[in-house]
Amino acid sequence: MMDKFQTVLKIFQKQKTSLGFGLVALLTAGGEQIFSSVVFKCPCSGWNFSYGMVFLLVPALALLVLGYIMSNKTWKLFTGLCLRKSKCCHFKYFCACGVVFFQITTTAVVAPVSWIAVALLNGNYFECAVTGVNVSVFTNHLCDGKSPQCQDELYKFPCGRATHVPQSDSNDVLATIRAESQVLGWLLIASIMVFNLLLTCVARCNSPVSYLQLKFWRVYAQRESDLLEKYTADHAEKLAERNLKSFFQHTLPEPVTTPPNQAWEKISSLYRFSTRDHYYSILHKYVEMCHDPAEARDNRLSSVRSDGPDTATPAVLAFVDEGKMML
Amino acid sequence: MDNFQTVLRFFMNQKATIGYSFMALLTIGGERIFSMVSFQCPCNHDQNFAYGLTFLLGPGLVLLVLGLFFSSRLWRLYTGCCLNPIKLCPRGNCFTCLKVFVKIFSGACVAPIMWLCVALLNGTFYECAVSGLDDNLVLDLFCKNKTMMCREELARVPCSKSKLPSDLNLELLLMFRAQSQILGWCIIIISAVLGLLGTCYTNCRSKVSYLQLTFWKLYKEKEKEQFDTFAMEYASKLAERNLKSFFENRAPEIFPFPNHKAWEEISALYTFSKSEQYYSTLQRYVERDDRDYCPEERPVMQLDPGTERS
Repeated sequence: MMDKFQTVLKIFQKQKTSLGFGLVALLTAGGEQIFSSVVFKCPCSGWNFSYGMVFLLVPALALLVLGYIMSNKTWKLFTGLCLRKSKCCHFKYFCACGVVFFQITTTAVVAPVSWIAVALLNGNYFECAVTGVNVSVFTNHLCDGKSPQCQDELYKFPCGRATHVPQSDSNDVLATIRAESQVLGWLLIASIMVFNLLLTCVARCNSPVSYLQLKFWRVYAQRESDLLEKYTADHAEKLAERNLKSFFQHTLPEPVTTPPNQAWEKISSLYRFSTRDHYYSILHKYVEMCHDPAEARDNRLSSVRSDGPDTATPAVLAFVDEGKMML
Repeated sequence: MDNFQTVLRFFMNQKATIGYSFMALLTIGGERIFSMVSFQCPCNHDQNFAYGLTFLLGPGLVLLVLGLFFSSRLWRLYTGCCLNPIKLCPRGNCFTCLKVFVKIFSGACVAPIMWLCVALLNGTFYECAVSGLDDNLVLDLFCKNKTMMCREELARVPCSKSKLPSDLNLELLLMFRAQSQILGWCIIIISAVLGLLGTCYTNCRSKVSYLQLTFWKLYKEKEKEQFDTFAMEYASKLAERNLKSFFENRAPEIFPFPNHKAWEEISALYTFSKSEQYYSTLQRYVERDDRDYCPEERPVMQLDPGTERS
């Protein structure tokens, strides 16, 4: 039993990315189910459309914002931006920021799309929203062949409170709306998946590194981020201990080596790929260039922050700065 | 703390039970999701066909895309193709590339075909889709020797809400279900026969004997597993070296590393050749006579010496 458990664990670790996405989708589905059964109650009045749309779109927006907040890249991009005014006004810089923002969005958009897709497949919110639409062409199409009061009482159908319209007619209309909602939901899921596949194909096709090296690169980026946390914690603890010891014991502080401010700033910028020298991360580049005198001699004119990259970072390397939320 | 240890030990002893309960929860969760996506035929003339078809093909398409995403052979062949199309035709042999593509695609098609077969054997989706058809030929076939009302009420048959007499309704439903199940079985048989023919053809054209082929498959699997282990170990070493150098504010140690060309070579797809005794491109690279044994001191990559100095 232990062997099987280990095998399952190993499979999970290998497919962390996909499982992560799957988990997000499942959690959103579960959350939607809870919401729709506990919280959502269609008002069956003139408010139908606004109520349905709010339940459909606002949680998606909240999940999108949460996705942005939880991405390391966002903070790497924005921290200290206000103080770097000279950089902001370059068009090239704007473009680079835009590209990075797009990459962050492609990961952050998974949860909101799952929410909308699951909500559409369920049908409750869409039903409520659509029965509150006032456009006569649309209501004519829905109430086609039904009793004349159908259009006037349309907003009461989701609660089953229509008085002048027979039950069978209102059930038919609701079934039509529900079918439309489910078809829309499946179309959304299918188109998002195909679009994702095409994007990945284009990114991988234009990859300057081979498949196995890319695989190694991902592993390296993950390990570096894990170890960075550990090393930062250790260093902080040692430094704090040294300072407090010196304070409480009235002694001179022991000499300690700590990275200078410029070093921290250099390694906090976003990774820029360059065809001349390929480093596996910005930390790697700094360590190789700024501490190795031979290397520094060769590259005297280029700064670590790559102010003038020869090429934009290829899309396939977007994972490099993600850190903990490695996807 | 002792109590916690006791509880933990209890759970560790009940691993089997926990495993089974977990599986049960997963199945219940999966069933909940499916019932949430419950299929309800709208039973009207305009929507039946589109609705039924969406439920038949939508999940199939999603499964196909997922199958392609998780195919490592596809990405291995395809990464970096646009920058270097020669990769697709290693050693001037484009036919291999095509064969590999066909294999990848047929591997990815297994899940969607399984879904399609299960859905057709079930019958509800087909029933809904076909009852919404407008084609005169089809309607003549279904409503042969029946009343005129049959054509108009056909769309409402799946919900059993039509104005037709109940025995006629039942007859139509049974006919739809029978057609759907026959179609499902046909697809199963055809896919099985095609799969068998494909396997026979591949094995027939194999350049190696049966036992060596088995060994080769096993070797490929083991090499893949060990690559992951070695990559993890190397990545940890490199990361530690970099971080130590950063926090201690000193020059980094020398670190032997495979160069970029080496990575490119071992990423190519392997084609077996009778004159060589290699089981993968990695082995071919490693056993080469003119292999460059001077490791990179710094793990930098020089892509093209020409553009480097520009």
